Amino acid sequence: MSGQLAAFGNLLVGGIFHAAVLFLVAAGLQLVFGVQKIVNLACGSFYALGAYFGITFISLALKAGMPAWMLLPMLLVAGLMMAAVGPPIERLLRTVYDRDESFQLLLTFALVLMFQDVFRFVWGANPRSLDNVHLVYGRLALGDFLVPVYNLMVIGAALLAAFLIGLFLKRTNYGRLLRATAENRGMAEALGVNVRGVYAAVFTLGTLLGTIGGALVVPTAAASLDMAVEVVIEAFAVVVIGGLGSMAGALAGALLVGLIRAASLVIYPEFEILAIYLIVIGVLLFKPSGLFGKAAA
Amino acid sequence: MTLSRRALLKTMAATGAAATSPGVFAPAIAQAKPVRIGILAPRSGIAASAGESGLRATQWAVERFNAAGGIAGRKIELVVDEETNAKDTIDRFQKLVQQEKVDCVQGIVSTGVGLALGPVVEEARALTIFWDGTTQDGVDEKLPNPKYLFRSTDNECEAVMSSLLAIKHWKGQFKTIAGINPDYSYGRNNMAAFVALLKRFNIDHQVITEQWPKVGTMELTSHVAALKAAKPDLIFSSLLFADLPVFMKQAHAAELTKGTKLVFPAAGWQHTLMKKDFTPEGMIFGHNTLYFDNPKATPMQKEFVAWYADKFKDYPNWEADRAYFAIASYKEAVETAAKAKGGQWPGVDDVIGAMVGLSVESLGGKGSWRKDHIADQTFVQGFSTHANKFDFVTLDPARIETMYSADLQKPAGANFWDWLKTAQFKI
Repeated sequence: MSGQLAAFGNLLVGGIFHAAVLFLVAAGLQLVFGVQKIVNLACGSFYALGAYFGITFISLALKAGMPAWMLLPMLLVAGLMMAAVGPPIERLLRTVYDRDESFQLLLTFALVLMFQDVFRFVWGANPRSLDNVHLVYGRLALGDFLVPVYNLMVIGAALLAAFLIGLFLKRTNYGRLLRATAENRGMAEALGVNVRGVYAAVFTLGTLLGTIGGALVVPTAAASLDMAVEVVIEAFAVVVIGGLGSMAGALAGALLVGLIRAASLVIYPEFEILAIYLIVIGVLLFKPSGLFGKAAA
Repeated sequence: MTLSRRALLKTMAATGAAATSPGVFAPAIAQAKPVRIGILAPRSGIAASAGESGLRATQWAVERFNAAGGIAGRKIELVVDEETNAKDTIDRFQKLVQQEKVDCVQGIVSTGVGLALGPVVEEARALTIFWDGTTQDGVDEKLPNPKYLFRSTDNECEAVMSSLLAIKHWKGQFKTIAGINPDYSYGRNNMAAFVALLKRFNIDHQVITEQWPKVGTMELTSHVAALKAAKPDLIFSSLLFADLPVFMKQAHAAELTKGTKLVFPAAGWQHTLMKKDFTPEGMIFGHNTLYFDNPKATPMQKEFVAWYADKFKDYPNWEADRAYFAIASYKEAVETAAKAKGGQWPGVDDVIGAMVGLSVESLGGKGSWRKDHIADQTFVQGFSTHANKFDFVTLDPARIETMYSADLQKPAGANFWDWLKTAQFKI
């Protein structure tokens, strides 16, 4: 691949990789808001939890003799295990379902702070990371174009997650129940839908997307105390661009944020953050419901 | 012996009067109670690991000093609080001074907090020694000649030293340079200092890209791709938080580090995370004022590092040295001032007077205090190597360089950029 084309390819993959991880977190946020109408700030903490636990889980597994090529499936397992924190937290959130949104925001923000203390207590204040184990899958090299295969696998995993969530919501009975509950909770309840059960399931699924996102990104990055807040800020940009509550919006928003960020780093690095928020402001001004969101009645 | 009621009352009254008279009993009373030192250190967020390292060194110093009798005969008692944002840290500082009645406040890592706290310290008239925070807005001193505040070396020292090393060792071996630095005054000034020194020494160069990731950005693949697209001969980076090992890991995966010269003045803040797996040999690697594996370490440093490794299964970074330097300076100044007062406990002004010009053996080497209350300390940098017993890089023992900050930071009152143009550097 020629120099310029390779550089473009590297940038494109870098942007999409970032978008893939962002999508998983934003998708969790969207799902929970779409059905439960809760803006869950703690989605960033689930992401951090997946990252921290992913490191511990993989380190222990490697010590126990796990072959390095099992990294990706084992990280998915780590993410799945950590989704177990979803149901008890959802139980806690029940206390604010019928209260003002500010209570919900306060409670989920309190969770962010509490999780940060838990991380510090369990894993310490120093950032944690894995060694270069993700390079076990090798690098895809075409001339100057060079990308770790693991990054491509993460992109694939995010796309698969998007596909499966779409399939689940649109083609399964339980998915239809979720959508019905999202549309009209009272009516769904009147028709015999176990709304509490639906909420618990949705919240756990949202948690799972976050923990898997954190677990998958950590081999290429690190887990640190502030990573939860960092990702929440970007996830909100994704949500505003894509439209609150829309899964398609999460995908489009994440892609847009990832690619704009990558492009601005080459064209004018000073614009990295500004470029994203210019889009956010533009969307808020001209399509406040987001690219895929429904306009408020 | 019998004591009448009248005699007892007279004795009690006399004792009470004497106890409240500072000239008679104050030193004895003072020596009976401990010296209280307030610590403000980050315990969460991006600087948490630095705060932890500093706190551990302070605790080690206190145990050591107390075992030897404390400070001028008084045991040391720590009152630890958290450094967070500027506003809350100022509130905690005032609480330490007004409610906890501490004798001295130490700590502060963030420049932003230090800048805001400086005037408050002066107003409170409370002796305060910063570990790592400065009172510079960018490179301009905003609190020249403070009375109560003593602050650390300029943030740019490590960049100046790394730049000098790059010029000394790699002159003529690079032309195109790229930067990836944290997007705040520290990163921007360090990069600018590097470029200014290249100009000063007539090094033919071209800055082809400058990346400014937000502090704490943990996903840097796009930045790495942008740097790779630019194909620089040399990368200068003052990344120093958790984003540093992440960058290095992602740069290694993209083979950005292969054949590129790397100048990383602040890498030592994350040294144990700079794994051999992804951190190359031969990069210029700054450990600031404490290199834990220094072959020329003093017995005290060796003892501290061994204690740290044994207790925490970790190795200290330079924040440990900054914290030790602060508390050791305070101890030395109090004891010098007390000696001058014939053994009486000195007042704040006496301690401040003793601090100026004071020279102390810190963990990483000699440190001293200038007249303008800015520290001078010993800086250590060198070239990374994999030849060690650890899983992270250390410095090649044959290529370790040591410089005193008197040769790395601007003198009192000078403009940093003008000073860079005229200073006599010892390369």
